[in-house]
Amino acid sequence: MSENILTIEKPRLEAINLTKRYRDGVLALDNISFSVQPGEIFVMLGGNGAGKTTTINLFLNFIEPTEGEARIDGIITHKDPLAAKERVSFVSENVMLYGDFTAVQNLDYFSRIGGQSEYTKDDYRDALLRVNLAEEAHHKKLRGFSKGMRQKCGIAIAILKGAPAILLDEPTSGLDPKAGHDFIHLLKSLQKEGKSILMSTHDIFRAKAIADTIAIMNNGRIIMLKKSSELAGCNLEELYMQYMTGHDGQRLAG
Amino acid sequence: MLKVIVEKEIREILGSVKFVITFGACAVLILLSFYIGAANHKANVEQYNAAKAENTRQMEGLTSWMSLEQHRIFLPPQPLAALVTGSSNDVGRTIDVHRRSELAAVDSKFNEDPIYAVFRFLDLTFIFQIVLSLFAIMLGYDAICGEKERGTLRLSFANPVPRATYILGKLLGSFITLVTALLIAILLSCLILPLLGVSLTGDEWIRLAAIIGTGLLYFGVFLTLSVFVSSRTHRTSSAFLALLVIWVVSVLIVPRSATLLAGRAVDVPSIDELAAQKTSFSRQLWTEYRDAMGSFSAPKDIDPHDMMTHFNKFMDSLSTEREAKMKVFSDRLNEDRFNRQVVQQKFAFNVARVSPAASMNLAAANLAGTSIGLKNRFHETAMEYRKVFGDFIREKTGMNLGGGMIYVEINDDGEKPDPIDPSELPVYTYSPKPLMASFSAAFVDIGILALFNLIFFVGAFVSFIRYDVR
Repeated sequence: MSENILTIEKPRLEAINLTKRYRDGVLALDNISFSVQPGEIFVMLGGNGAGKTTTINLFLNFIEPTEGEARIDGIITHKDPLAAKERVSFVSENVMLYGDFTAVQNLDYFSRIGGQSEYTKDDYRDALLRVNLAEEAHHKKLRGFSKGMRQKCGIAIAILKGAPAILLDEPTSGLDPKAGHDFIHLLKSLQKEGKSILMSTHDIFRAKAIADTIAIMNNGRIIMLKKSSELAGCNLEELYMQYMTGHDGQRLAG
Repeated sequence: MLKVIVEKEIREILGSVKFVITFGACAVLILLSFYIGAANHKANVEQYNAAKAENTRQMEGLTSWMSLEQHRIFLPPQPLAALVTGSSNDVGRTIDVHRRSELAAVDSKFNEDPIYAVFRFLDLTFIFQIVLSLFAIMLGYDAICGEKERGTLRLSFANPVPRATYILGKLLGSFITLVTALLIAILLSCLILPLLGVSLTGDEWIRLAAIIGTGLLYFGVFLTLSVFVSSRTHRTSSAFLALLVIWVVSVLIVPRSATLLAGRAVDVPSIDELAAQKTSFSRQLWTEYRDAMGSFSAPKDIDPHDMMTHFNKFMDSLSTEREAKMKVFSDRLNEDRFNRQVVQQKFAFNVARVSPAASMNLAAANLAGTSIGLKNRFHETAMEYRKVFGDFIREKTGMNLGGGMIYVEINDDGEKPDPIDPSELPVYTYSPKPLMASFSAAFVDIGILALFNLIFFVGAFVSFIRYDVR
């Protein structure tokens, strides 16, 4: 009970005045702030170069912020990256696992480096079945897997890690409609388990279908941040285009 | 965590098609090098025995030790030379031991059959130098940048993995797997030696073990270098290209350039230049000798047989005196040339040691007893033998070896004189440098290889700590 109260009071993921300027002078992220609560799906929408992936990279401490900080469960990622990474799973746009390993071997390796060494073969099978990967594929080498199958393995790895937060970088890019649909269902079920999900995507329709909060990003800035309830009845695609072309920005922002 | 990464690395390498193909090729070549080495050694032993028998046969029919002015000695084939050819094919295998002329090793393998000089042998050091280094590069060039390119590095570092542990695990995993695989291939190949009838002494087995260890250390240099380059680049194509350039320069160009550079830096007079000086001095001595010959006077009423002995002794003393002068002059020239050569060799070796291939070759050749010192050692042992042979002839004839004039014995009673017994001749034995001396000679190069390993290991480690894993 007290745990629930704690998670409600403290955001699981926080970006506080997060800024990233690369050595070549490019400002990839310009003072963005947001937070993701437990059980919330936060979607970052935007074109290429908007700063979505940079934000995820800062949460994973792949790069360090120029200013501000990213926090996971209150832990500043660039100050204590290992502790922060214990609390987050990651699924990239194009999940690339070890091609000469089977699905189960990949799960075993990534679970163990993720700090979970007690899993059995049954656990791996259950995780793969949960992401709808047919059982006959479990012991096949990843080399012959389609993008959708690899994506499923990536989600299974994220599930097995058992981290309270999940970062997804363009996870539905290139998936066929059925796989995309399955994926959305899976995210919903993870949300019900209390996972906090921060997802970047180009896919406006899927964003609208699952997001609790949507941030539209452009040129390293959040130009719109709205709860999905605030967007009810809006044509998100039209709105997105208006923001991206600079129209009506002032009216809806904030 | 380290164990997990090491295990994953081992599993990944063993399961990769790249490993199966490259290791398969490597194992076959290692096996082939042992087979060819063993077969060559057997052929060399047969040739050596035949040459010795022919030499003995040529002494048949001689009736006086006096007529044996020289004796041919042979460099016995060394079993390890079959695996580490070194300079063994360039060094002459026979020396005619004669008191009056300088000892020179002639009849090298390359001289006998120049085709070997063109294409060389597929010996173990060749496999180590070329194949093992390429094997290491093939399996190490994408260790880091390949993972980045494939996207697995990003996923791995989304987990709480310390970078130091990760790179250590990768290096250890690769090294353990590949070295174990190579060691198994090499040890199995070693079985070919006794199977083909090549027997090694305990001393030689220790040397072979050290040669194999040196080869693996050399392999480690290229493996750590590959991981180092891989952790300095972000694309596998860049890493492979960079390593290929490094490989060509260090394995093929540096050792050869070092020799050229040393040739330019240190001037060593040629054998022909020395021979011209010696001939000139010899002519001068011969004039003096000829004048001195005229001063011979025999005691009156001397028996013709005694007269001949008296004359021979006189001539012998003149020859000895002339030869002593010639020897002093030759020794001075030879010593000067030798010293210059040593300086040149040291210079060449030190420059070549920039290349791990040169260090590996030098260490292996020193351990196998086929280094550049083989020629000197054969020459030194031949010089020692000349003394023993000279003493033997003096004991038998009362004369210095080759010092007298022609000895003609006229047997009035018509009895056929007894032939000499060649088995009475002192036996020439060649012994390679003692084990400890060989280790001591190889120590510097083994140390350099270990240092290269350490440098590239630290380089890979430090580079990876700052590596952009995105």
